[in-house]
Amino acid sequence: MTVTQDGAHGAGTKPVDVNDPKLSRFDIVREGARRDDIEIVTYESQFQGTNSKAEKRVVRNIALLFMISGLAAAAFVVFFIVWPWEFELGHTMSDYYTPILGISLGISLFALGIAILAWAKKLLPHEVSIQDRHNKPSSDEDRLITGQTMAYLVDELGVQRRPLLKGAIALGLAPLGVAAAAPLLGGLIENPHKDSEPFMYHTGFDPVPNNGQLVRLTREDGSPVRPDDVSVGGQITVFPGIPGGATNKYADSPTLLVHLRAQDAQDAREATEADKINKGGMWGNYVAYSKICTHAGCPASLYEQQTNRLLCPCHQSQFLITDNARPIFGPASRRLPLLPLEVDEEGFFVAASDYPEVIGPDFWERP
Amino acid sequence: MTSDTPAGRRFRVFNRRRSAPSRARRRLGAAARMLAALALAGGIYTAFAPGAFAEDDTQLSTAAQEGQALFNNSCVTCHGLNAEGVEGRGPSLIGVGSASVEFQVGTGRMPMTRQEAQAEQKRPVFDETQTKQLGQYIQELGGGPQIPAGDLTDNVKTNPEALAKGGELFRLNCAQCHGNVGAGGALSSGKFAPSLHDATPSQIYGAMLTGPQNMPVFGDNELTPEQKTEIITYINTQIQNDKDPGGIFNLGGYGPATEGLAIFVVGITILVFTSLWIAGKS
Amino acid sequence: MKRRRLDLAQVPANVGKGVDDRYKVATPLRGLLNKVFPDHWSFLLGEIALFSFVVLLLSGVFLTLFFDPSMKEVTYDGPYTALRGVDMSAAYASSLHISFEVRGGLFMRQMHHWAALLFMASIVIHMARIFFTGAFRKPREANWTIGIILFLLGFFAGFTGYSLPDDGLSGTGLRIASAIMLSIPVIGTWMSAAVFGGEYPGEFIIGRFYIAHVLLIPGGLLALISVHLGLVFAQKHTQWPGPLRTNDNVVGERMFPRYALKQGGFFMAVFGTIALLAGLFQINPIWLFGPYLASAVSSASQPDWYVMFMDGLVRLMPAWQIDFPIGDGYVLPPLFWPAVVGLGALFTLPMLYPTIEARRTKDKGSHHLLQRPRDAPERTGVGAMAFTFFTIATLSGANDVIADKFHISLNAMTWAGRIGLLVLPPLAYYISVRVCLGLQQHDREVLAHGVETGIIRRNPDGRFEEVHQPLGPVDDHGHPIPLDYIGWVVPKKMNRVGALAPAIKGFFFPVETLPEAPVSPAVPSVTGPSAREEITSGR
Repeated sequence: MTVTQDGAHGAGTKPVDVNDPKLSRFDIVREGARRDDIEIVTYESQFQGTNSKAEKRVVRNIALLFMISGLAAAAFVVFFIVWPWEFELGHTMSDYYTPILGISLGISLFALGIAILAWAKKLLPHEVSIQDRHNKPSSDEDRLITGQTMAYLVDELGVQRRPLLKGAIALGLAPLGVAAAAPLLGGLIENPHKDSEPFMYHTGFDPVPNNGQLVRLTREDGSPVRPDDVSVGGQITVFPGIPGGATNKYADSPTLLVHLRAQDAQDAREATEADKINKGGMWGNYVAYSKICTHAGCPASLYEQQTNRLLCPCHQSQFLITDNARPIFGPASRRLPLLPLEVDEEGFFVAASDYPEVIGPDFWERP
Repeated sequence: MTSDTPAGRRFRVFNRRRSAPSRARRRLGAAARMLAALALAGGIYTAFAPGAFAEDDTQLSTAAQEGQALFNNSCVTCHGLNAEGVEGRGPSLIGVGSASVEFQVGTGRMPMTRQEAQAEQKRPVFDETQTKQLGQYIQELGGGPQIPAGDLTDNVKTNPEALAKGGELFRLNCAQCHGNVGAGGALSSGKFAPSLHDATPSQIYGAMLTGPQNMPVFGDNELTPEQKTEIITYINTQIQNDKDPGGIFNLGGYGPATEGLAIFVVGITILVFTSLWIAGKS
Repeated sequence: MKRRRLDLAQVPANVGKGVDDRYKVATPLRGLLNKVFPDHWSFLLGEIALFSFVVLLLSGVFLTLFFDPSMKEVTYDGPYTALRGVDMSAAYASSLHISFEVRGGLFMRQMHHWAALLFMASIVIHMARIFFTGAFRKPREANWTIGIILFLLGFFAGFTGYSLPDDGLSGTGLRIASAIMLSIPVIGTWMSAAVFGGEYPGEFIIGRFYIAHVLLIPGGLLALISVHLGLVFAQKHTQWPGPLRTNDNVVGERMFPRYALKQGGFFMAVFGTIALLAGLFQINPIWLFGPYLASAVSSASQPDWYVMFMDGLVRLMPAWQIDFPIGDGYVLPPLFWPAVVGLGALFTLPMLYPTIEARRTKDKGSHHLLQRPRDAPERTGVGAMAFTFFTIATLSGANDVIADKFHISLNAMTWAGRIGLLVLPPLAYYISVRVCLGLQQHDREVLAHGVETGIIRRNPDGRFEEVHQPLGPVDDHGHPIPLDYIGWVVPKKMNRVGALAPAIKGFFFPVETLPEAPVSPAVPSVTGPSAREEITSGR
């Protein structure tokens, strides 16, 4: 059936005089609903008669839920205050501080929620109301009036008739808009190419800032690395041996120094020697590749010593060390750059030069 | 492209066997390379004077003789007489040392049941004494790295700095494969780094020292014995024995993947059922 | 001195009078209290998002009281032994401080994180409900678009929050974010330099992300959520078709007393669920991740689940690099396609969908009645396709964990994802369209012939046939008169009044009780006049 035609407010009920003393409170509520174009179709208690057994049971259950909620909340406060919470080494009571808070608060809130919901769902009368949606658009007349009012505004400003003002607005406001944006964006802009040697193309192994001295390969604590320090089939993460070389200031510099097995080293050497850029970059059976993945910059450092692959844990690009660290699987499209190795007179590894290729994730202007 | 080209890999999910020949071939290659490396390292011993060891039998200690008997029973098929290795089956064990034996046999990885991407951990076949005897035999046969005797962990009560240092070393050297929480991780083509939750100190020490499977070797020059002990202390204290303070369950320590699963399986499920109860389906 | 007696019973009336004298609220307030809301469980899914947003604001404000968004290097000296003496940023140190030195701080941190995950999860579930029921149709296209922008804002709020503690995992995420910016042609390096204040990682990013995370993005979220709810309020909620329900009315419960109470209870349930999650499940144990170091990484480095689809697409992308051999040469890295183009497309296409559908179906009318998914098979198919795509991309974002835990080759997982991403969505489309058509057909059958009763009858001529129970009136021959489909559930279970109870009871196992005598007449209905309950064409 169709309930509402326009104007048939609260179909089925007639307006009543709300000042009539005989009206019950619900009658007044129903009259209010009627004035809001609502027809209360069904509003009936879920129980037969007052004080039925079923109702009492529901009331008891809801009361119980409130009690549980209160108890759990009280427990939360008590635990919050008395439970040992300061972190201690090892397996202690304090390890249960967060769980006990979460469980007591969770039970308290959830029980409260269920109690309120049960109250609404089980105790309150079942209701079906119908409200007019009033989804008709404005009347044609109103549309016309509003449209004309807006057009009138434009007319009065007379931009159409005063072309000079039109131009003046454009010329006056556009620069102001730019001026508003300029300090917001302009302050953020940093020219990545401003240095004569842009940072994208250099790492901490560049000998130029190091007074022309070749940069040593060091451990995270700054101690230099000798060839003996890396076992066959072993690898070590090395950093440029300059102040702060192992910190995030030189986030592009971490390098993986690998000591290959003789046969693998032979393969790797053949591959590097055949390559224009990597030629001569190995030292003995040692080879060093950038640890920064050419795909998205994670440390591609999962070295598989039997298959000689380097795996990046972020997107699973795999690089073959024995073939110039060529990408053989995954989304990386560019090989890892090789750090040319040498050993100085004191027997420590140094970088023969900076990386001949660009480190890290690719970008548009990479040559 | 190598053997990992799509055509060669595509059916792995459905049928592990199909790619078995290529894996066997790869293992064979690896074994051959390892042989070659060891041949260089071990020099004349292995290449020219295998007979010398047969004569040395008499000089083996009692424990090593016991070990030899076990070896000849269970290992000889793949690793060959006098542990010289068998082409295509198993590498030579000359020079691998008792550390390697104790790790591989102690974790049940050896003896292998079949050739696969990587030897899996299982119930050890040999008990602790037998493992030591086998290790002793291999040690006396060709030398190599040994797991030091004694306590391999620092006392965190008296030396709390060891924990922090171990943690730093762990995150730089171990976490990329085994994960920050030690839950393990996947490597290429079916290989994986195992979880560290059940590893004993001597197993961890042995693994670092010998680089089993695809794990790189961390010799005593890369990580000093003290540093190894610190790492083991960190693993033992923080990863294995610490109760996570953030909850009853730690969701396996697999990071956001299981957290995302939990929000749907637990959070959304609870609340959808609640809303079904509130509003019904009418 | 004479004291005026305070008549307590009169206080509410007096206050009400005073307020209305000043603000004239009685009439609009009555309208608000009387507003009718339709009642269906699926209409509550969006509420989960709203309520978890409230929890996010509350717990987030608490966290700001202790967090220090600075990248200044400090040496940790707190109670957590395993990091004592380690150099780290002040941001990471203060996150550890919250976790270990603030009473209940770890609990609040975990509540905040779980609430964020729940916020995003409920947005997606809510979006699925809106999509599959056609609730985005005119006049609600704008609110659908706002919903997608809300997901996008939540995505960035989540990512910036994930980055703030400056631990090992969040640093890895930042590094990838910088790589994504770098991959944009022409302006890539400029953009990354602008965001990071020069070279990655620089010294500004945590401070900048902090202000975005606590002010700019939540401000945007708050504003858009207000508009979102305001529009639902003004346009009134959609409803399912059914008895009494038309395109021009709303059938349900008035806001007071029942509906508002239910909302309050549900808020408590959501809050309680988040608290339980925060207590039971440890989330993001930053103390195990260590400070961010460009050289260190953990296996299973993943973003939170709502970013995982993007990470999955990045993982599945083949290594297709485009070179432009002009001058020194220019590069378009493969990362650009999934991370920038893919993300853009995945947010733009859904925004356009209401327009596309309206144009395809040449439908210009306003719709306030929902459609059952089966009644719009093509839309359901498109939705199934989109969610299959999203699911595969998300699972691929965790493919290393899946590979490791289920002993599948990692490379095979990648290939399965690549192939699955292309093959499964069309398959999902086909299957769901077929299922929808089948369900439609069954509905029509029941309306035409009545409910299948499972009772087989032998006719005098020897034929067997199933007895159908008519849903409505029957013609002279006792055959049901076909009913119109009104877009709502068609009864499929036989009405057992007057029939024998089923011989076998129980759902999983037969319950061994003797069949009882015919079921007594149904319990009298508590609802109103039964005339209103007849199934009629609501339209």
